[in-house]
Parts: sequence; C-alpha cells; structure tokens
Amino acid sequence: MKAFQYASAVSPRSAQEMAADHGAYIAGGNDLLTRMKDYLDSPRLVVNIKSIPGLNTIVAGDDHWTIGALVTVAEIEGHSQIRDALPALQQAAAEVGSQQIRNVATVGGNLAQHSRCWYYRQHDTVCLKKGGDLCYARHGENRYHAIFTGNPCISPVVSNLATALTALDATVVVLRDGKETRLSMAELYQKAWDNPLAHNSLNPTDMILRVEVPSLRSRGAYLQVSDKHAFDWALVSCAATGNVSDGKLSKARVALGCISPMPHQVAAANDFLEGKPLDDSTAARAAEMILADAQTLQHNGYKVPLAKALIRRTLLRLKG
Amino acid sequence: MASWPTETKYISHSTLRIDAPAKVTGRARYASDIQAEGWLYGMILRSKWAAAKITAINLEKALKIPGIKAAVTVRDGEMTARYYGEELAAVAGATKQACLDALRAIEVTATPLPHVVHETEGLKEDSPRVWAEKANASPGRQTDKGDVDAAFPECDAVIEGFYTTPVQIHHPMETHGNTVSWTDEGVTAWASTQGISSVRDGLAGGLQLEQSQVRVITEYMGGGFGAKFGPGVEGLLAARLSKAAKAPVRLMLTRFDQSLAVGNRPSSFQKIKLGAKSDGTLHAFQLENYGTAGIGGGGSSEGGGGGVNFPAPYIYKVPNVRVRHTDVAVNAGSARAFRAPGNPPASFGMESAMDDLAVKLGMDPLELRLKNDPNKTRQHEYKVGAERFGWKQKYQKPGASPGPIKTGIGCAGANWGGGGNKRTQGEAQINPDGSIELRMGVQDLGTGTRTVIAVVAAEMLGLAPDQITVKVGDTRFPPGPGSGGSTTCASVAPTVYSVCQEALQQLQMQSGIADARGSNWFDACKKLGATPITVHGKWEQGLSSSGAGGVQFAEVAVDTETGLVTVKKIVGAHDCGLIVNQITLESQINGGIIIGMGYALYEERVMDGFSGVVINPNLETYKLPGLADIPEIELILVNMPERGVIGIGEPATIPTAAAIGNAVANAIGVRVSSLPITPAKVLAALDQVPSPIAMIP
Amino acid sequence: MSDSNPEGFGVQSRRTFFKSVGTAAVTAATANAKSVAAELEKANAEKLVGPGAISVTLKVNNQPLHLQLEPRVTLLDALRNYSSLTGAKEGCDRASCGACTVLFDGKPIYGCQKLAIEAQGHDITTVEGLEQSGELSDIQKAFIEKDALMCGYCTPGFLMSLTGLFEANPHPTADEIRHACAGNICRCGTQPHIMQAALQVAGTPIASKTEVIHG
Repeated sequence: MKAFQYASAVSPRSAQEMAADHGAYIAGGNDLLTRMKDYLDSPRLVVNIKSIPGLNTIVAGDDHWTIGALVTVAEIEGHSQIRDALPALQQAAAEVGSQQIRNVATVGGNLAQHSRCWYYRQHDTVCLKKGGDLCYARHGENRYHAIFTGNPCISPVVSNLATALTALDATVVVLRDGKETRLSMAELYQKAWDNPLAHNSLNPTDMILRVEVPSLRSRGAYLQVSDKHAFDWALVSCAATGNVSDGKLSKARVALGCISPMPHQVAAANDFLEGKPLDDSTAARAAEMILADAQTLQHNGYKVPLAKALIRRTLLRLKG
Repeated sequence: MASWPTETKYISHSTLRIDAPAKVTGRARYASDIQAEGWLYGMILRSKWAAAKITAINLEKALKIPGIKAAVTVRDGEMTARYYGEELAAVAGATKQACLDALRAIEVTATPLPHVVHETEGLKEDSPRVWAEKANASPGRQTDKGDVDAAFPECDAVIEGFYTTPVQIHHPMETHGNTVSWTDEGVTAWASTQGISSVRDGLAGGLQLEQSQVRVITEYMGGGFGAKFGPGVEGLLAARLSKAAKAPVRLMLTRFDQSLAVGNRPSSFQKIKLGAKSDGTLHAFQLENYGTAGIGGGGSSEGGGGGVNFPAPYIYKVPNVRVRHTDVAVNAGSARAFRAPGNPPASFGMESAMDDLAVKLGMDPLELRLKNDPNKTRQHEYKVGAERFGWKQKYQKPGASPGPIKTGIGCAGANWGGGGNKRTQGEAQINPDGSIELRMGVQDLGTGTRTVIAVVAAEMLGLAPDQITVKVGDTRFPPGPGSGGSTTCASVAPTVYSVCQEALQQLQMQSGIADARGSNWFDACKKLGATPITVHGKWEQGLSSSGAGGVQFAEVAVDTETGLVTVKKIVGAHDCGLIVNQITLESQINGGIIIGMGYALYEERVMDGFSGVVINPNLETYKLPGLADIPEIELILVNMPERGVIGIGEPATIPTAAAIGNAVANAIGVRVSSLPITPAKVLAALDQVPSPIAMIP
Repeated sequence: MSDSNPEGFGVQSRRTFFKSVGTAAVTAATANAKSVAAELEKANAEKLVGPGAISVTLKVNNQPLHLQLEPRVTLLDALRNYSSLTGAKEGCDRASCGACTVLFDGKPIYGCQKLAIEAQGHDITTVEGLEQSGELSDIQKAFIEKDALMCGYCTPGFLMSLTGLFEANPHPTADEIRHACAGNICRCGTQPHIMQAALQVAGTPIASKTEVIHG
C-alpha cells in the first residue's frame, strides 16, 4: 500500500470535492484496502465517509424502504423487519463474506466493489480491466467467470446485495456532480457490461447515498452455491421476489449474480412468470428462458445447469 | 530391556495441553511475534516473471527510502529466475511501510524467457526448457514385477482410469520466517520451524559459520506440515540483512510469498489399469504417472520427500506390476515434504481404481479390500470401523440413492512408516526443592510434544504433569530430531523414559532412598542438599516401533443439481501403538482428516499458462476448509501398547481424500477422477456439461 | 519494478492541496449562502493528515495506546509492529483467514482490514484482554479443556469471534457457531474441538465419540 493523506468528510459534497483529485472513499474498507495493498489502486487521498451524518439509517416508508449507503451488511442481516419484509435482501446479506467483514462492510461498498476476477486481482498481470490488451481469463482459468458479457472482459459482478436488490427493483440514489441521480440496478452496472475497464457505472467521485427498495413484493428468497459451505464467493447467486396469491405469481422478478458483469435479469422471463402457477414446470421454464443465450467457455459451462437449478429452487421458495 | 509400565496414571490417558494457557491468552510468543531489541522489518522482492534472465538489480533508490537500513540481492551478478515468485532481493527497515516502499523502488533489469507451468505442456518435447541442459520430462522410479502384459488377459475384470491430483500448498497459519540477529558473537535465529537443528545447520552452512556459532530458538510456531525444515532463502536473507544493518531483522513471508516459493505437494496424473480374477483377487496393475514438483522436477528440495514418486499399487499386493513415474519440471516453486509425502496421491489413485474395479466386479468395495489388503491391522480396523460406521446398512449400489441430493459412502486405507530417531537426547535438571525441568532440542509445532514430554516424565517419576517444567525449541538443549515423518513422539517418549530412569538412579545414589518416585520424590530431592543435579538420557530401543496402518470411512451427500459435495461423516480407525496422550492424539487425527478433506474438495494451486503466474496466491481463492465444512468425525483409536510409541500425524491424512472420492462416486454413480471435487467437476461428471478436465492422454 | 518514492509526492502535494483548499475557502467566505459549506471544507482541511506519521491514540483492552503512525498503518500492524500486543496474529493480511480478529466496540472485525487511525475512539479488545482479574473467560477455559487448539496461531482469532458471538447470543446453536466462525481458518484441524468447546459454553455440550479399542 502506498502512502496517502487521509481526511474525514462531514458532508457528501465535501467528500466529493476532496476526492476529486485522485481520492478514494473509504467506508468499510474491505475492498479498497485490499486493492490498495495489492497496488491496484493508490489514491493520493483517502476520504473517510463514515463521518457523514444521515447515511446510516434504515427507514420503512409507505411503499418503499430507504437504506442508507453506510448501513452495514451486518445490520441488514440482523434487522428483523427486513428479514420479514425483504427476505431476499436479508438472506443475501447473511452470505456476504464473514461476520468480521459484514460488521464493517456497507451497503454502498458492497454494491460498488470492484471485480474479483483472479487475473484482475493478480497485481503482476495487466489484463483488459487494468488497461491491458488481453483478457487472460477468456483463454485461461475461467471457472469463476461470466457466461454473459457485452465486452471482451468476462469478469462478473459478485455483489450479493446487487443480486437481491435487482430482484427487488431497487433504485440507487447517487450523488453525481453535486446532484442526486437515480439509477436502476441495471443502470448501476450497465457500464461494466459495455466497457472492460469499468466495474460499475459510477464515475470516480460518484457517491452512493442510499438505496430505495419498493415494498410491493411480499415474498422473496436468495440462494447461492459456492465451492465451500461458507465464507466463499458464490459460483452463482440467485434472488427471486414476487407475490403469490391462489398459488399464482405476480410481479415476480428473478436475478442472478456471478454470471455477467451486471446482475443478470431477463425481462421476458419476468413477464412470462406473471400470473403463472408457482410450480416446478413454471420455474423450469423460466430458468430456460433466463439462461437461453449463455455463452460458456472452457471451464465455466457448469454455471448453466447450476444457475438453472438455483432459479428453480429460489422461485419455489416463494411458496413460503 | 526397557519397557513401558503396564499400569499407568497418565500414559494412555488425557492430559490437557500444557501450553494451552499461553496460547489462549496471547502470551505465547511465536517466531513472528519476536521483537528483539532494535529489530527491523524485512521483506523480499520476488520475480514477477515465470522465467527471466535477470541482468541487474539496482538497490540504490531502495536504500534511500527513509527508514531503510539494508538491502541485499540474493545473488551477485546475473541470474536466471525460473519461477514466478523466486527471490531476487530483500530489504530491512524500521517499518513495514518503509519496506513496502523500498521493494517498489528496486530496479530490476530483466529479459523474460519462455516458460511452461502446466505439467501436460511440460511433457511435450518442444516445451520451453526449465533447465537448459535437460528435458523437462525425466524418468523417475520404475518398477516391474511379474509379467503385466501376460497377466491382464488372464483377468476377469479390468478397469482403466485417469486419476489426477493437484499441487497442494501447505499454508500453515503462520507463514515461514525468522527473526535473525547476526552479531560478532554469532547468529541467533528465532525461527518458525519444525527443525531447529536443521535451521541451525542450514544457517551455519549458508553463512559459512561454525555450527556452534548459530543458535536457533523456536518457542512457539504456527504450523509446518513438512514445509518448514530449513532456514530457507528467507532465513539466509534475514541473516545477511541483519549483518548489514547491525540489527535483528524479522523477516516473515507474506501469504503471497507463502503461496509461491516455500513448498507444495507435487501433482499427479495417474493412468491406472487394474485387473482382478472373478473372486476379486488382484492380478495385474499398471501405472503411468506424471506430475510436477516445480523447478525441482522431482529432485531434492529443502525438507526432502518432495518428489513426484509414490508407492504403487500402494497398500495392495499384486503379483504383476508395472509402474512408471515421470517427473515434469515446470516454472513453478519447488515441492517440499508435505504431510505423508507421496501417500495421499498414491492412495487417491489406487483406492479410486479399487472402487471402480469393485463396480465392474459387482462386489462391495469393502469386500474387495478385505480380500486384497495383506495388513492384519487394517483388516481388523476395516471390520471394527465398518461396524461403527454402519457400512452394511448404508451401502447401496452406486447411484442408487434417490436424488436430487444423493448420499454415498466410501472407504480407503493408509500405511505409514515412522519410528523413533535414535540420535535423540534429553536432559533434566532436578532441584533440591523437588522441581524438575526437562530440556530437549525438539520443537512443538502444535502436535503436543511438550505435553507428551510432561506426560511421560510424570508417569515415570510418579509426579503430576504440571509438576514437570518442559523446555523445548532451543539448539542449546540436547539434540533432538526435526518434527517430520511422524517420528517426534516415538523419538521423544523413549528419550524421556531414559532421562527419567537416569534421574531415579542418580537420586537413589545421592539420597539413599531406594525408590525416589511419587511420595518419596521430595524427600529424595531434599537430600541433594544445595546442588541441583543434571542428568542426561538417550533414545532407547524397545519403547517404540514403526509402521502404522489406518482406515477411514466417509459418508457424503452430493447435490446432483448444484454439484455441491457435503461430507457428513468420517469414521477413522487408526493404529496408535501405545497411546501416550489421548486428547492430543485425537487432535492430531482430526487434523490429518481435515487436511485430507481440503485436498479432496477445495485445495488447488492454480497457475495461468500464458503469463506463468499463480492466480490464487492467497487464502481467498486457495480454499481451505472452514468450520461449516467439517463433518462429524468419529475416531476409533487402536491402542497397541505392546508396539510401543508410534506416530500418527501422517497416516491420519492419507486415506481421507480417497474415501471421500469413493463416497462421491458411490453417491452419483460416476467417478469424479480429479481432485479437488468441485461443483463444476461433479456437474461435468454427471454429463450436464462437457468436461473441462483433461481426458486420458 | 521501479516506482517513485511515495513520500516524495506526499510532501509536495500536501502543500498544493492546502493551497487550493485555502483559496476555495476564501472565495466561498465572501458569499453568505456558501459560508456553511466553506466552514465544512475548512474543517475538512484541518483534519487532513498524512502521508507522514501522526499521533494516534487507540484504546486497547481499556488501556490507552499512544502511537506515531502513517495513515496507511492497519490496526493489526499497529498492534503487532508498533506496540507489543502480538496476540492478534497476521495470517493473510487480506481479510481471509481471521487470525487477526479483534473486537471493535464488541463486534469481531479483521484487524488487518481496518486503518489504525479509524480505530481511534473505539473500544478495541484483543486476546490479551479476555482475562478478567486473572481469570480466564469461559471460552478460553473451554478451549483448554477440549484441546481446541494445536499450533495455536489461529486461536486468538477464533476466541475473539466466539467472544463476540457469546456477548450477542449466550446460547448459540451449532449452526450459529458455524456462521460466526466462518471467517476464521485453522490449518491444524482443530475445528471439531472448537465446536465442542463452543457448544460447551453455549450450554449444550456434546460428548466425544472417540472409542479406544485394543488391537
């Protein structure tokens, strides 16, 4: 880690101004400090944003929840009302890292974390994501990589919360150029789909302020499978939400993580689920639609059957 | 003739680990905790190339970094770096931060050379050579017995399989490293080692000092598993930095360093053909294996035992055998001894083949083993273990378990040599107040050596273990063995026995009390007057033996839709010889099983062929088992006091991966023949996706 | 391989930075509407520290610890290398192994992934602080009794994770113990005994299933 200057911000705007000249925000620091230790990032100034008031609250509104960017993942995991109202989010939070990580990790940091591709994280390779001219993973060790991508880089988004929040149709409120900008989850990651250099659509000084989560879906579930049983990145993660009445689905959403640079969602599949009976064959049909255009590489073909299995299981959990 | 007492109060019972209080309070000072007066932090610069000609290393800018006190290169002049992570230079400074900056200020002039890091590539004639003067592939051990070509046609059932095991990294929780102080009086090294004597000798040799000028101290160290015998390049660099800076230097490796350069278990790619008569009698066996021990190509590496060779057909007797091993040098860090070198891959290949053969024969795989395993101990263990495990009740034909989560069972056997080191010595100082201190130049890597010494001494002297002060981990104490090959207990216990016999004899002579043990102890000591006595002892014959058989049973659940394997239960039945201390013995066996489990399901060094770098040089993507992965473990300790003391560390880790692999095959009805058995490989084996795994070449 | 001396740029750019912030503050002060923001910026500028060492005071095991640290020094580095509190261990320095686990206001965190300057004003507890008036805590005692440690290098981290768990939940289930300890790795294989020790403290002890037979 290179030496840096450090300051605590008292408002989002002051943080933004300080960070303008090669600065970086620090909240939980899990991702930032690892990147700095491996010299993937060497900010001149590290701006503490934990000191900014008002970004660490969870508020239940009439039709949506507002979750501050500085709310910790552990707080989401342990929040009894969120457990009931937004189960997919609570379950996704419980699978983030370890308790040591969840106790400091924030919602904003989890969403904004950079690629975990092992070539990107390997400080002695200059891959596409680091401005090189080659995606090493594409013809190399790609077992953990994407089966959908819009650009030559195959690093997938791995944020658990992103998977859940996509299935919850959440909106991320970002401070950009001094103004609050509202991004859908797809918009938050669109740039990573388009551009190999991007990890998400945030500009360098953009700051996530809060997430707004509609509360119009009463059921939700999140599942992931990793190589290990705990404290391991998901190979594939899946979140499903919706309402169920008389055994039929409405407003259902399915999203997947770790298979694409953005949370993977297929509108046609969501549409298909509307009004369908919540059963095996519906779930299986949706799974086929969601994985239809997957492009596998030498080592990641298993993600297709794995994702399908997870979609079926997660959807069936909506039975309650 | 020496013999162990038959009625015991401590031996074969459980005494709590005597250094546990120090370890649960943070008082235990590990090599990495040493803060010698005026100490400096040390760090190593490594090759970022898999192969390169290094023409110049400029340390000037590094030396100008504030706080930096010394910088050295590994070699003078030009050198060839042969793997990613090879040591090039090192720095010492007042803080870690200064060292980090200095490493980045070192200028290295290098010309990258072609490299090869994957075994199958290295085998090819036209692959870039790791060593210019010889081909990468070189023949290892060859065995021929009987007439294999004639024997296979005589078999009623023949199977062929290609079983592969990855390069496994030791990853002790404390990395390799030392604090070294080199002054005019000589060198003192606080080492994280499993061999204080070999570190001393390595430092003396490497620094051109007399053995007597080097002292090595290892009070506490954080695990070794075979990789921590010598001082390593890092120890020698720390010494040179200390001399240059005129201050003690603590140079502990980073986890990144640990992943690249300080040993591993070689890989294996085993093409096996195995044939039997219709009654299951093994008749013919053929193995063609290749694997890599890194740049060592299977040759010697620090710690020994790092080659790709292994015993085959492992624990079975087969009349017609042909075995060919090929060492493939690649541009990667060298192998070192790793808990039961050679045996886990040997067990995985052969035991997998045994189960595949059982399927072909329509036999219960346990029956096939009982038919062909010549070892009486294992025969007994299989029977007792199967009963305990419920083998008969649980066994189903492969794949017969209803899905989607299928259960399966498997078993495998182990064999290990071990035995005591007859050069082991010890001494005891007995004070007039009745206190006693035992000193031995061994080290306790967490196996419980200190506690074993206290248990044996307490038993022999009629005292309680907490009345014995045990001092280990200092080369100024009488010489002891390195802790490897499951030999420590069988070296130490007989030596303590003889030290105690000598103590009793001396006490008898000096006090006139015929039997100084137990209730007489304090009276006898009092009669020493003002002067303590010091007695010496040497390892004695007849109190230990070698050879340890063990078997393990595994029960798994395999999710056939996600590929996730859950190990539900392991039953291990192990030959324990004379049990010295039961509770630490149990810990040792659990530890062997869990490392075996990591080998089965999670662990693998992953290298990128194009760049030649290791892409999982961390504990995030090099995956170790966690609490949530650990199955229920039930142990059957086969106490055989008549055998004397034996070792357990190695045999306990050998059969686990094979037993788990067999259980997975039994669950899903097809073999995942490549370790680690990941969800990806399970789904591939189930034909849900094309296999990414190399097929039989 | 070469890189410029970070301290070099630090000295220079700190001056430039102060200069620019100072100018901004003066300009803003002329406009009333912007004066609040300007005050905030000024406050920020005053708090700007580093890259060189600064005075840092930590509260560890209820004792103040005064240190001179660069902002880039982690809490673990501060404990182990700038003071003599070596109970928390360094196993990976990347938030992957848990050997460095400490309690931060009662909650387990990785000491390697927290900047020391950010630990100011918080209660830090390390393994050295578990003993109360010379008496070991229940989980420390249980670790000894169940032989839940071997080399002992991961032990402080497990103890801190479990201490945090028991403070929040005195009677955890086996699954809750697994969840709480997921971020701690042990290479010796003490996990079965750790589970026994934790369940004992949880009030639901399990018996060892080891059997001794004669060969």
